[in-house]
Amino acid sequence: MAVPVIMPRQGNTVESCIVTEWFKKPGDPVALGDKLFSFETDKAAFEEKAQAEGTLLAVFFQEGDDVPCLTNVCVIGKPGDDVSAFAPEGMAPPAAQEAEQAEPKAAAPEQVIAAVAVDSLNMKISPRARALAERRGADLSKVSATGPEGRVIARDVQKLIDEGLVVSPAARAAYQGGLEGTGLGGRVSLSDLEKPLSAPAEAAPAAAAEPEFYTEPMSNIRKVIARSMTNSLRSMAQLTHSLTFDATEIQKMRRLFKEQGEAMGMNRITLNDIIMFAVARTLAIPEFRALNANLIDDGKTMKYFHHVNLGMAVDTERGLMVPTIMHADTLSLKDLSEKAKELATACQGGSINPDLLTGGSFTVSNLGTLGVESFTPVINPPQTGILGVCSIVTRVKDVNGQAVPYPAMGLCLTYDHQALDGAPASKFLKTLKTNLENFTLLLAKG
Amino acid sequence: MSKQLFVDPNELRKPGYVRFQDIPVNQYQKKVKDELGNFTKEQFINIYRDMLILREFETMINLIKKTGEYEGIAYNHPGPAHLSMGQEAAAVGEAFHLDTNDFIFGSHRAHSDILAKGLSAIAKLSDEELLDIMENFLGGSALAVVEKHPHDSVKDLAMDFLLYGAMSEIFARETGFNRGLGGSMHTFFTPFGIYPNNAIVGGSGTISMGAALYKRVNRKPGIVVANIGDGSLGRGPVLEALNMAGMGQLTHLWREDMRGGLPVLFNIFNNHYGMGGQTSGETMAFDILARMGAGFNPNQMHAERVDGFNPLAVIEAYSRKKEILLKGEGPVLLDVMTYRFAGHSPSDSSSYRTEEEIAAWEAQDPLVEFRSQLIEAGVATEAELDQVVATVKATNLRNFKLSIDDNLSPHMDLKANPDEVADMMFTNGRVESFGEGESDVNMPLEENPRVKAIARKERFGMDANGKLVPKNRVYQLRDGLFEAIIDRFYKDPSLVSYGEDVRDWGGAFAVYRGLTEALPYHRLFNSPISESAIVGSAVGYAMAGGRALVELMYCDFLGCAGDEVFNQMAKWQAMSANVIKLPVTLRVSVGSKYGAQHSQDWTALTAHIPGLKVVFPASPYDAKGMMATALVGTDPVVFFESQRIYDVGELFHEGGVPAEYYEIPFGKADVKRPGKDITILTFGAVLYRAIEAADTLKEKYGLEAEIIDARSLVPFDYDTVLESVKKTGRLVIVTDACERGSFASEVARQVTEMAFDELDAPPVVVASKNWITPAHELEDAFFPQPAWILDAIDAKILPLPGHVRVTNQTLNQKLINERKGV
Repeated sequence: MAVPVIMPRQGNTVESCIVTEWFKKPGDPVALGDKLFSFETDKAAFEEKAQAEGTLLAVFFQEGDDVPCLTNVCVIGKPGDDVSAFAPEGMAPPAAQEAEQAEPKAAAPEQVIAAVAVDSLNMKISPRARALAERRGADLSKVSATGPEGRVIARDVQKLIDEGLVVSPAARAAYQGGLEGTGLGGRVSLSDLEKPLSAPAEAAPAAAAEPEFYTEPMSNIRKVIARSMTNSLRSMAQLTHSLTFDATEIQKMRRLFKEQGEAMGMNRITLNDIIMFAVARTLAIPEFRALNANLIDDGKTMKYFHHVNLGMAVDTERGLMVPTIMHADTLSLKDLSEKAKELATACQGGSINPDLLTGGSFTVSNLGTLGVESFTPVINPPQTGILGVCSIVTRVKDVNGQAVPYPAMGLCLTYDHQALDGAPASKFLKTLKTNLENFTLLLAKG
Repeated sequence: MSKQLFVDPNELRKPGYVRFQDIPVNQYQKKVKDELGNFTKEQFINIYRDMLILREFETMINLIKKTGEYEGIAYNHPGPAHLSMGQEAAAVGEAFHLDTNDFIFGSHRAHSDILAKGLSAIAKLSDEELLDIMENFLGGSALAVVEKHPHDSVKDLAMDFLLYGAMSEIFARETGFNRGLGGSMHTFFTPFGIYPNNAIVGGSGTISMGAALYKRVNRKPGIVVANIGDGSLGRGPVLEALNMAGMGQLTHLWREDMRGGLPVLFNIFNNHYGMGGQTSGETMAFDILARMGAGFNPNQMHAERVDGFNPLAVIEAYSRKKEILLKGEGPVLLDVMTYRFAGHSPSDSSSYRTEEEIAAWEAQDPLVEFRSQLIEAGVATEAELDQVVATVKATNLRNFKLSIDDNLSPHMDLKANPDEVADMMFTNGRVESFGEGESDVNMPLEENPRVKAIARKERFGMDANGKLVPKNRVYQLRDGLFEAIIDRFYKDPSLVSYGEDVRDWGGAFAVYRGLTEALPYHRLFNSPISESAIVGSAVGYAMAGGRALVELMYCDFLGCAGDEVFNQMAKWQAMSANVIKLPVTLRVSVGSKYGAQHSQDWTALTAHIPGLKVVFPASPYDAKGMMATALVGTDPVVFFESQRIYDVGELFHEGGVPAEYYEIPFGKADVKRPGKDITILTFGAVLYRAIEAADTLKEKYGLEAEIIDARSLVPFDYDTVLESVKKTGRLVIVTDACERGSFASEVARQVTEMAFDELDAPPVVVASKNWITPAHELEDAFFPQPAWILDAIDAKILPLPGHVRVTNQTLNQKLINERKGV
């Protein structure tokens, strides 16, 4: 007489456990106390030992499968015993052919797909991915597609599984998608479904007891910045031009530095360093001297610089600071990078030499790391220009009639129309773009 | 081509005339009384009896079709019935001198021909021989039904056996001569020398010629008769057969003991209508059909017109013509003038001829006329002949009842045994030799110059450092084919090979270089440029008992042999219920560089037709092993080769191509490179482009492609493909064939069905464009390139980061193309 082995319930809150390893395979003899399989909950790992002897006749779950508690996992008995009665609901008897197993599987996806939220109704998903999701209970409401034309493919589902974004078998039927799981390995379990969606409701009554606002005096540095910015906007004819450039080459170079630059001490060169290098080299071209200048004397005199003294905007706890990299146009990329780091560290540590906060001929301000795609930087008077550096977004260009993606980085140049006109300002941007897209050439030029 | 024949300008530029002999027309005018003493009384009466049997048999079928009953017994025969009432004298006259060594092949209108030939065989065979045949045919199932009735003699029993076997076959009974799978238009019985009847007009022309070739090459006794109609002379394949049967090399170049035109008699039952088209005067140019022989060879094919309404005239003609054929002076063309009283088929209202015309011929009905001649000559009395009529009618009725009895003569039960026909599509045999004795060869194998040259070659395509061995030192794919072919030539004396430029030239692609030295003319010869005759005769050669290896120089010529490949080669094993085996291998070379009519891969056409095995090896190891399998088997094989890769060395099989004999079974795909990320399935030469693509996938994208070389299309190895797809979830299928309707598309559909839940993307076909093949300089835009494979993967299966496509893979472009029909 064959006897089934169930998945034990290891505590009242445990809905299911994951089979982690099989120590026996179908057909193996089993003695009392032999280890059959190991399994785990979110808190602990266990081993199931045989409480009957005979032969392991059938195995209903494989390693990695999430098994509801009290479900039959395997059957021990004499060879020839009928085990079909023990197969968990929806599972074919183990002796059956694979083809026959496919039937219940094929019927099942409807449940999950029909049950998930509206977006999921329009989801394009490969059959293999769908089957994998169904088998492992992956939470498709959290999937990101990486297949062609936005199709969810197997690796996307595998990623969900690897990240623990799965729904326990017990919760699947009712799950509508979108919940954070708190169950085993982060999975959405029944208890998650039962939690009320309470956060917004709680917030409302609590608010009444609190004052509506509070006040704080402006810090000194804030006041300096405020004055400077207001003055800047009031005293100048500022306007901004934007364009993007293909960052493929500088990204490649950045990778190269990162992966292979350590020996030469160049592994910490950032994209911003690269851009500043290009800005310095471009500004040094005599044609663009009006941007490497100060407008002084109440707008009566232009002060041109022989070298580029490049201001770099640094965000600190105390506020914006703009230290100057003197003679940036004469520095190698490595030296420029080191200088920039030294200055930034000094600013953040509050140890910056105040002298280094003046004397700039042009400024670079980078908000790209914060995801800003476009902005209008405000000129640091009496300079005549400031370059805003934006984030990289994927854009497409037309190659052979098909859309080919590339990384596009935004540049926004604010300039003082008193000092120069739009055409030379645009020309500067265009030259800078060319230099950045062909950065290797620029580097080679020295 | 033959250097033995000097094309002499001095001779050829001389003036002169081509002279023709007079062509006899109905020169025999004797009646029974003139032939007294030359036939026994029994022979005279049996001529009459046999004509009666034929007439009664067809009258029965005519009545069933038109009135739904015969002799008061209702029966519905839904199948075809092309009757020849009126032509009995021609059929009986023809059969009179033929014995079981003489083979007849026929047309859709063949009931009378087979019965007459069967009756003739019964008259000539001994009782022991007859019993032996009847007991052993299809396990004696037909005999078991007819022997319950008491018979005075074995010959009487055999006549019942013949009538019953034919009727059962026509009525699609399992006890029929071909288990009911042939039917009215295809009834035949090889033990009596009755070979397949063909429903394609003139289909038997090339096949009969091939059977005659078999008799010549294998020194078999007897002649072959092609019973075809006057309408069939409008068909190209028949004209090809008339020519090839008498081609010059037979009398000029073949060895003395094999010399002479083939022993085949083209017996044209000239009933003046090809269906409704009146041949003489309307659809044909010959005026008098016998004229047709004069243009084909210097002896004018011994053509003459014979009065087919007088059995004695036909008998006399056959006695002379058979002698000519046995002397090796064939072929013969006979214009057997006759008339069919019945329509083309029961649905024929004879709208194309007048009642007066039919009545005029019926007034000279050979049965009536011959009966009166018998009485006039004092051979028999009215009473005696009435008794003959009564016996014939009773015999026919008896066998009719047996043949429509569902218990005694059941139809094949395809509900209970659904695979019964399926299991007859191929014979799947393995026969070392279909011949007898030693193989006729010119020299020991080891002395062959090509064999010696191959011995010096590197049998693996790469040296120890992984560098390709130079072409001139490497054992090539064409060497693999050659080794398997010459091996079988030395083992099977029945094996012959022919096609265009196979001798001397060595085949257009040098596969046969060295065979000319090895083989006498009759085993390896240049055929006329007659694709129909090449394939059709190979079918006849195999039907008669031999093994043939023939070739179409370019796949593009397949259309020229369309009927012979699609209807003849493919069908006869199953149509004969496996009575016939067809060990024919048809080499088909897929070209490139030569533009729209010399570069097409038509594998899908042959794979579509049930009954053909279709293979396409792409490496020397596979080519040799699969050719060996084709040549030792019993099934028709279409063996595709690619001109792109005749010179490749073996790059896959460890240790290179073995020198010894081996076979690679059909229906086994080969994993040429294992991988886990994506499956690339290839057909033929595209294997090498897939490997380039796989290299790029590995180097640039870190993807490991599993490359499967299909090798065999029919049967196709889905197991290996499914196993791979189960692993990778992704499938690209590559072929040089045009995409639409390609076999690759077929596999894509099947795999989608079989492994839907395993697929991470639709199976994608990378094929040639649905265009003409452009000039060689532009071929890269037409045939699949490695980059196309990457494009297809990137666009439809798995985006390849940074990959820039060279082709437009968008749905929109596809729809534009489809709307255009390209």
